[in-house]
Amino acid sequence: MSRQNTRLDQKKVNTELLTLAYGSFVTQILHDQNLNIDEVNKNLERIGYNIGLRLIEDFLSRTAAPRCLEMRETADRIQQAFRIYLNIQPAITNWSSSSDEFSLIFENNPLIDFVELPPEFSNLRYSAIICGCIRGALEMVQQEVQCFLVQDQLKSDSCTEIRVKFIRRLEDAIPAGED
Amino acid sequence: MINNLYIFDKYGNLLYYDEWNRPKKGEIKQEEEQKLMYGMLISIKSFVNRLSPTDTREGFLYYKTNKYALHYLETPSGLKFVMNTDVAAMNVREFLQQLYGKVWVEYVVRDPLWEPGTEVTSSLFKSKLDDFVKQSPIFGIRNI
Amino acid sequence: MIIYGIFIVSKSGTLIFDLDYNIPRIENEKTFSYPLDLVLDYNDPKNVSVIFGQKDGISVGHVLLSVNGSSTSGHTLEDGRNIKEVLETKESYPLTLKFSRPKITTNEKISLSSVFYSLYSIASQLSPELKSSGIEILEADTFTLHCFQTKTGVKFIIISEVGVHGMDILLKKIYELYADYALKNPFYSLEMPIRCDQFDTKLQALLEQVEKTGINNL
Repeated sequence: MSRQNTRLDQKKVNTELLTLAYGSFVTQILHDQNLNIDEVNKNLERIGYNIGLRLIEDFLSRTAAPRCLEMRETADRIQQAFRIYLNIQPAITNWSSSSDEFSLIFENNPLIDFVELPPEFSNLRYSAIICGCIRGALEMVQQEVQCFLVQDQLKSDSCTEIRVKFIRRLEDAIPAGED
Repeated sequence: MINNLYIFDKYGNLLYYDEWNRPKKGEIKQEEEQKLMYGMLISIKSFVNRLSPTDTREGFLYYKTNKYALHYLETPSGLKFVMNTDVAAMNVREFLQQLYGKVWVEYVVRDPLWEPGTEVTSSLFKSKLDDFVKQSPIFGIRNI
Repeated sequence: MIIYGIFIVSKSGTLIFDLDYNIPRIENEKTFSYPLDLVLDYNDPKNVSVIFGQKDGISVGHVLLSVNGSSTSGHTLEDGRNIKEVLETKESYPLTLKFSRPKITTNEKISLSSVFYSLYSIASQLSPELKSSGIEILEADTFTLHCFQTKTGVKFIIISEVGVHGMDILLKKIYELYADYALKNPFYSLEMPIRCDQFDTKLQALLEQVEKTGINNL
């Protein structure tokens, strides 16, 4: 049994399968939550967060990247992760003047192919799973961030824009009695 | 020659321990030994950071005594891999980096039944790790 | 070959000698405009340090030395103003801030020595092999520590750049100097700090010789 062989072969899985699976997954949650959109948004973010907590290890082991000590480095790594996992290259722009906040902008969001958001779901943050994933992954490397959708192609924006804002550095837990 | 391996998470929980060659054992309880090991790593880290003449990035890499060498790899997510070998073993850190990617990420991180922070009990992981260690050039040779 | 420093630690773990030989001074001064793009930590009452957002040589862990040329002391400036307030006020800018990698104080050296003393014995205790010594070499990405423990339990420690050879020879030479110019001096008491001019001069000469002609000519 060798899982190694299937791991890196991107051609084997059709993106549409991901898109469709994610679509039916979101609609199922909508039903499970009795169409309570706020609750669904939270759920999608939390699921992404749980993915991020694990996906970071895969990323670190592939790239052998060192710990980020400034936000521009963090932005580059996130961009690299988008290339590896979604095969898209978001632009990094709109830096705040104190360099602690930036946007990732991309047009070809694979999660939203074929999706048309009905008017009654206009508050649904369909791609919130990506935001959660970024937040979870960064938390594992001692960075607390806020991450949210600013522009959404499902809401007639021309692109998807995700904002990432640095909140604080989390300190490693150290056992009692140690320096 | 590879002696043993400890894997800790960033909170100091021992996620996995295994040994292959261990002439000395049983002097202190296993649980106490693990705590002592983690405490020592934390002390070494802050010691190195303070003593370093210039800014560190990876920090502590290994130490050697007259009988064994302790090699250390910490990922940015705070996972700590500690492997004891004979003093002549080469490229152990690279080996740990591979172990992280090819065995840990593959069979633990991707295992949906594994709860982060808990000890790894998967027998698939154990056997894959064992194979991985035993096929390594570091494993068999006893250098003096 | 760069040697950064030498320590001698007594049998009971106290620091009895230390020498900073070649410690690089790492300081950076830069003018900033509002808002400040460094994340600073104000939790330590002794200093203000960088916690995130390193740039232009100013790294995480560096402490703030001066603001517009006025030195800092704890969280206040020479004129008594609170640093945090100054840095968070838009009208204060532009500000010239000087940061440095914190220097090791004598007190810290004493505590680092006793930390190493216990690390040395724990390393022997945690050995998977029988009858192991303590740490003889400890390597980090920025330096190597070489330790030689005499049969009487005195530890000689050299901090050098990574990848140098022959430090064991140099350690034995320093041991000889210690035996000659400290122990044979009737006014030197055991376990006490070594304050012997002859020892200092000879050690200095030894280090200069090693630096010039290499370790093999000893």
